[in-house]
Amino acid sequence: MNKYIIAIIIMALTIAAATLLYLNSNNNSEERTAKMISQDKPSGGDFTIMTNNGELSLSDLEGKLVLLYFGYTFCPDICPTNLANLSGAYRQLSKEEQEQVQIVFISVDPNRDTPERLQQYSDFFKMDMLSGTSDIQNIKTISKNYGVIFLSHQKSEEDQYYAVDHSAFTYVIDKKGQLQTQLPHATTPDQFIESIRHYLSLSHP
Amino acid sequence: MLKKQLIALAIISFTSLSAMANQAANIEVLNPFAREVPPTAMASASFMTLKNTSNQEILLVRADSKVAKKVELHTHINDNGVMRMREVPHIKIPANGETALKPGGLHIMLINLNQNIKEGDSVMVKLTFEDSSEKEISMPVKSLMSMGMKPMKMK
Repeated sequence: MNKYIIAIIIMALTIAAATLLYLNSNNNSEERTAKMISQDKPSGGDFTIMTNNGELSLSDLEGKLVLLYFGYTFCPDICPTNLANLSGAYRQLSKEEQEQVQIVFISVDPNRDTPERLQQYSDFFKMDMLSGTSDIQNIKTISKNYGVIFLSHQKSEEDQYYAVDHSAFTYVIDKKGQLQTQLPHATTPDQFIESIRHYLSLSHP
Repeated sequence: MLKKQLIALAIISFTSLSAMANQAANIEVLNPFAREVPPTAMASASFMTLKNTSNQEILLVRADSKVAKKVELHTHINDNGVMRMREVPHIKIPANGETALKPGGLHIMLINLNQNIKEGDSVMVKLTFEDSSEKEISMPVKSLMSMGMKPMKMK
């Protein structure tokens, strides 16, 4: 009889110890991820891209809250989803708010994305988006500054239907050109609006 | 003797034939749609929920459509914010369960579109399951832009 009770107590203690260990290890991994993100916070900074209407630098947009997205026009799902959500947000802003916001799209696929093509792409989303690209070296530099990762899957020069993996964050840059935050993929229009209004309110004197 | 064998063979092929018809018949397709994409996009995607009413797992192994030169089954992997799109050999629909094909996840890729698909159009997609049974679905084309918008509030 006693043996059974001892066995039960041992079992209960083992389960409790295992649970504690499990909870602890979870906490640790969360901390680690959080630290990794803060340590790796990208610096952002000025850049220059070629649009259908000539060169565009981030510094030209001083005084506007910039929402920056990296992608490519052939992108079948991720970019259109994000940009449609951004558009949904933009079109619900007041005229005054819209005038203080600029959405910018940088193509990480200069091989296929010409400025003309990017213009067509911008027109589709109805949010006065400025889009452009540059030579691959410059795109790599800009990407590095913003912590963007991309990888083309083009198999050969003839392959024109390749996909490009890319970071799907929207970067929020304040009116002085400082990178403030990054919003993840699948951010809803409401969440975009909330973030836009938050950063607009911070920039008021 | 031969007659018996023939009958047996006939029965076997009949049962396997009827089994073949079963997988497609055991799949219900809910809310299928294809997405209107910018005129520059060479690809669109088709989404739906596949419901398996049988008590055996069913694999979707192939999809075809006349609107695209190439149709593939794909998924997205969110790797620390980097969206990596990959072709998958099949899409699993668990026994008595559902699998959702939705933006940012599993989808049927319509690659190299033969025509610019627009909201209001309908698109036919043929699904083929592991036992080579087929199901043809007509689906509406939905606009991305209205998906991003909340329904207008009445004042």
